[in-house]
Amino acid sequence: MDFLAEGFRRALALLFSADAEVTGIALLTLKIGLLATLVACGLGIPVGFMLATKSFWGRRAALTVVNTALAFPTVVVGLLLYGLLSRRGPLGGLEWLYTWQAIVVGDVLLAFPIAAALAAAAVQGVDPRIRRTAQTLGAGRWRTAWTVAREARFALAAVITTAFGHVVAEIGSAMTVGGNIRGQTRTLTTAVALYTSQGDFGLALALGLILLLLALLVNVALQVLQGRGGVGHA
Amino acid sequence: MLELVGVVHRYESRIVLDIERFQVPPGSGVAIVGPNGSGKSTLLRLLALLERPTQGEVRLDGAVVTGTSGARRRVTLVEQRPVLFRGTVRENLRFGLEVRGTKGTDMNRVIDNVAGRLGITSLLDRRRHELSDGEVQRVAVARALVVEPDVLLLDEPTSSADRAAAQTLYRALAEERARRPLAICLASHQLEDAYRWADDVRALAEGKLAPVTPENLFRVELPPGTGDAGLKHVCVGSIEVAATTDKTGPAILAVSPTDIFVSREPLASSARNVFSGRVTRLSHRRPGVVHVAADVGVELVAVITEDAVRDLGLVPGGPVVFSFKASAVRVF
Repeated sequence: MDFLAEGFRRALALLFSADAEVTGIALLTLKIGLLATLVACGLGIPVGFMLATKSFWGRRAALTVVNTALAFPTVVVGLLLYGLLSRRGPLGGLEWLYTWQAIVVGDVLLAFPIAAALAAAAVQGVDPRIRRTAQTLGAGRWRTAWTVAREARFALAAVITTAFGHVVAEIGSAMTVGGNIRGQTRTLTTAVALYTSQGDFGLALALGLILLLLALLVNVALQVLQGRGGVGHA
Repeated sequence: MLELVGVVHRYESRIVLDIERFQVPPGSGVAIVGPNGSGKSTLLRLLALLERPTQGEVRLDGAVVTGTSGARRRVTLVEQRPVLFRGTVRENLRFGLEVRGTKGTDMNRVIDNVAGRLGITSLLDRRRHELSDGEVQRVAVARALVVEPDVLLLDEPTSSADRAAAQTLYRALAEERARRPLAICLASHQLEDAYRWADDVRALAEGKLAPVTPENLFRVELPPGTGDAGLKHVCVGSIEVAATTDKTGPAILAVSPTDIFVSREPLASSARNVFSGRVTRLSHRRPGVVHVAADVGVELVAVITEDAVRDLGLVPGGPVVFSFKASAVRVF
């Protein structure tokens, strides 16, 4: 018990003293997480819309692929990306291996199927009459999609928070392609793993608490944004 | 002119609509009448360009509609159970106008005008969860009218409305048609409503336009084989109708109201179908003409003159006999 209590005390002290290393790791994680979520959702949500609303050859197969990719092991994604980005790989020229950009790419690959599959489910959950009504009132493709998105906004917000949560919590890909380099590619999850293995439980716990705080902040921010659009009103 | 030409529409492999030609001329009032599942809603969705027919064409002013966005701005559908978007009723009414780039002041003038005519002014600031089903239906019609379509398609527009609300709606539609050349195509299973306001009433059964008026349409199962002298006796409700047909299996059986002889006593005649019953309703739909509905085991409707009603002394609840020839029974 003393060990745990001491760990919490040290974690709080690090948090309130704004330790430079802890702050740096947290900011890098936030940067990677937001960028990866933005790209993954920016690509995945439109794909989800398409999968939910368009009928085309191979649609079912595409849905199956996207749903299967939800359970893709993060370390395998990291491994494949490692192969692509390593010096002998097809993308070796980019020299992104062991950079934060590589972690972003890995996170996008992991979060994209989440965004696509959950967005498809969110759009499929909207009453089909909404889409038909927008169309019959003369709305074009984009206005119709926007109208459907407004109806599904709680579910779509959940898509974004789930994608963000997945991105900031994953460790396999970040460790493999990022390398956990201090001051460069060390994220909250890779740092927690490292400091725990080194026996610095207090620092690991402090970073873990920040991770939770980040997830909470993003959720609250999304809820505030929804509120401006009239949350709670049908 | 909005029209369907040579349309066959399938869901999976099942044919739900098979129509040679269906036209909604400019400024006309067309009613489609038929039982549930007859294809009315599908027909309206095809006309509204919300679905493409599996086979055949939708034409607008003679031109085959290929793209949809431009044509959709001229044809608007109000579904049987319409939905409102998030936001207030006013925001809902703004939707179609915003899409068309109407300016703010013009928008409010149009909205207030239509809302006044449909009696929904007091609802403008309410949200969808604060409205009854009937109110939602009226708001949906108003939302369709504000964009001033050339063709307004209505699917059972008064199914959730009380009598007064239905009257308000039909009055507003009549005013709109008097004001500008608006064509209205309405699907209903209520013949009374259809006859009251439509210039043209068409019956739809099993996805096909029936070649007779919509009364006395029955879904039946024709027995196999041929009976005496080509006659088949077909169960319709609790009566057996004699018909001349060589068809078997599921079919629609129709008797035109003008082919039914009405009397107080059974007539000695060649008619193979003679049914006694009681008058349930006398409807004066056109001057000098009365639709006599009677319960003879099923409800049948006959059309006779006012003089004939007077001479026969027909009154609701009074006795009546309906007779018609087996050859007057249409089977399709």
